[in-house]
Amino acid sequence: MTLSTSEPSTHVEIPTPLRALLVGGLIYLFLVGVSSLEKGINIMGADTQERLFESVSNPVAGLCIGILGTVLVQSSSASTAVIVGLVATGNVTVDEAVPMIMGANIGTTVTNTLVALGHVRQSNEFKRAFAAATVHDFFNVFAVLILLPVELMTGLLSRIATWMTDHLVGTSGSEWKSPIKKWVKKPVEWIVDAWSALGLSGNWLGTAVVLTGLAIVLLSLTFITKNMRQLVADRVERSINSVLGKGSGSIAMLLGLLITVAVQSSSITTSILIPLSAAGVLSLRNAYPVTLGANVGTTITALLAAIATSVPEALTVALVHTTFNVVAILILYVPPWWRYVPVMAAERLADIAVKQRLWAVAYVMGAFIVLPLIGVALLR
Amino acid sequence: MVLSFFKKSPSGLEHVVARSASMLGDARHSFDLATLALLTETDWASVEADIRATDQRINHAEQELRAELVVHVTVQGAADIGTVLGMILLLKKIERIGDQAANVLDLAESGVQLSHEADTDALLAERGIISTMFGEAAELLSDPDDEKTDDFSDRCQVLADAQQARIEECLHSELPGREVVPRAIYYRYLKRIIANLVGIVRTASEPLPTIDYLDDGETDTDD
Repeated sequence: MTLSTSEPSTHVEIPTPLRALLVGGLIYLFLVGVSSLEKGINIMGADTQERLFESVSNPVAGLCIGILGTVLVQSSSASTAVIVGLVATGNVTVDEAVPMIMGANIGTTVTNTLVALGHVRQSNEFKRAFAAATVHDFFNVFAVLILLPVELMTGLLSRIATWMTDHLVGTSGSEWKSPIKKWVKKPVEWIVDAWSALGLSGNWLGTAVVLTGLAIVLLSLTFITKNMRQLVADRVERSINSVLGKGSGSIAMLLGLLITVAVQSSSITTSILIPLSAAGVLSLRNAYPVTLGANVGTTITALLAAIATSVPEALTVALVHTTFNVVAILILYVPPWWRYVPVMAAERLADIAVKQRLWAVAYVMGAFIVLPLIGVALLR
Repeated sequence: MVLSFFKKSPSGLEHVVARSASMLGDARHSFDLATLALLTETDWASVEADIRATDQRINHAEQELRAELVVHVTVQGAADIGTVLGMILLLKKIERIGDQAANVLDLAESGVQLSHEADTDALLAERGIISTMFGEAAELLSDPDDEKTDDFSDRCQVLADAQQARIEECLHSELPGREVVPRAIYYRYLKRIIANLVGIVRTASEPLPTIDYLDDGETDTDD
C-alpha cells in the first residue's frame, strides 16, 4: 500500500522544526494575550472593576460563571488562563477564583459530550460514546460536590496551593520577578498604544485591550493545539496503541496527562477517546482514567499563564487548578470502593439517553447552559 | 509503556503494514503445513495444533490491527481514510487465507489423502509455487511495485484459471463422488487462496474504488 503518507494531502505540510518554532511563537503570543487581559482591566476605573467582578463573590455564582465561560470558549485552558489573568489584576481574589476554576473543569467536558452526540444515529455506538463522554462530566461534578464545600469550609486547596507558591516564588502579596513578564511588556504596550492612537481612553481603552487580549489568548491556544496535534500525532497514536487496554489505570492516566500537556487541550484528549469508545475499541473503564489524566494535564496552561504575571496569587490559582484535580483523583479514583461510581452513573445516563435521545440533548443544554445561567441569574 | 510516547518508531500505518506482512508469513506457515498433511504422509494430527494456534494468532492480529486503524483515523483525521479502508480489506483477506489453510487441514482430518495419487508430484510442485507467492505478496506489501504487481497478478490469474478448469473437470467427471468431491473442494480452496493473495497485492497498490468496483460480475468478489 503506497501508504497514503505519500499521497497528496489536503493540509499544509510544515517541516517539523518550523512547526516547533511556530508553537514557540504562539506560546509567546498566548502570554502576551494573558498580560494584555491584566493590563486592560487595570486600565479600567476602580468602580468599573468592582462592578464587573462583584458577581463572583458568591462561590456558586463563580462556579456557574466558570462553567459558562468555558462552554462559551470550548476550552478550559483559555478560561483558566483568563481567570489567572483576572486574579493577577487583584480584582478577583484566590478564594473567589477557586469556584470559577472548578466550574471551568466541569465546563470543559461539554466538548466531548458534543462529540458523542455525533454518534446519535447508531444506538450501540451512541450508548458507548455518550457514557465515555459523561464519565468525565460525572467525575468532575462529584469532585466539585465534595471539594467545593471542603474548600469553602477549610480552604484546603488554596492553602496547599499557597504553600507551594510560597516555596516557588516567595510570599503571597509581594511581587515576584517573572522573566516572562519583562519579555511580553513591549507588545502589550504596543496594543495599548494602538488603541490609544484610535482615540480610546479610560474604560473604552481598557475594554478594547481586554478584548484584544482575549482574542489573542483564544487564537493562540487554538493554533497551539492544532500545531501540537500535528507535531505529536504519531506519538499519540503509538502510545495509545501500546498503552490503552494493556496497562494499568495509572499508566492510562499518565498517558492522558502527557497527551494533554503536549496538545495543550484536554478536550482533544477526551474527544479522541469518544470515537474509540464508540467503535468498541476502548472500554469505558479503560477510557475513564485517561480523562482524569487529561484533567491534570490541562492545568499546565494556567500555570503557563501565571508566569506571564508577576503576582503570586495568580500562580496560586493556577496551582489550585492542579491541586483540585490531583486531590479529586486521590479521593474519587484511588479508593477502589467508589472508583467506578462515575462510570456507573455515566452508564445509567447513557442507558436513558439511548432510549430517549431527547434526554441527551436536554442533559447537555441543562447541565452546561440552563443551570449555570439560572445559577448566575439568582446568585450574582 | 508510556515511554513509547517519547520513542521514535514507525508511524501507525507503517506498523500495520509490517504486521500485515508478518501475518502473511503466518498464513503461509499454515498453508504449508495443511497442504503437507493433505499431499504427503505427514500425520494431520501432528500439525493440527500448530495450524489452529497460527490461525488464532492471525485472527488476533487482525483484530488488534483493525483497532489500531481506528486509533489512526481518530488521531490523524480522515486524510488516510482510503488507505485505512484498504488496509481493513487487506487484513480480512489475510485472515481468510488463514481460515482457508485451516479448511485444507479439515479435509485431511476428515480422511482425504492425496499423497499416493498419480498427480501428487504435480500438486506438490504447485503447492511450492503458491507458497512462494506468499513471500512475494509480503514483499509487495512492504515495497509496492506496479510492474511486479502486474506480473504477480498475471501469474495468479493463470493459476486460478487452472484451478477453475480442474473444478469444472470434477463437476463433469464420471468418477465416484468420493474421489472427485474432495479434489474439487481442495482446488476451490487453492483458487480462493490465490484470489486472496492477488487481492492483497492489488489492495496494496491500487485505490479502493478499483478493487471494490462491481464490474457486472467480472470482478471476483467471493472470498
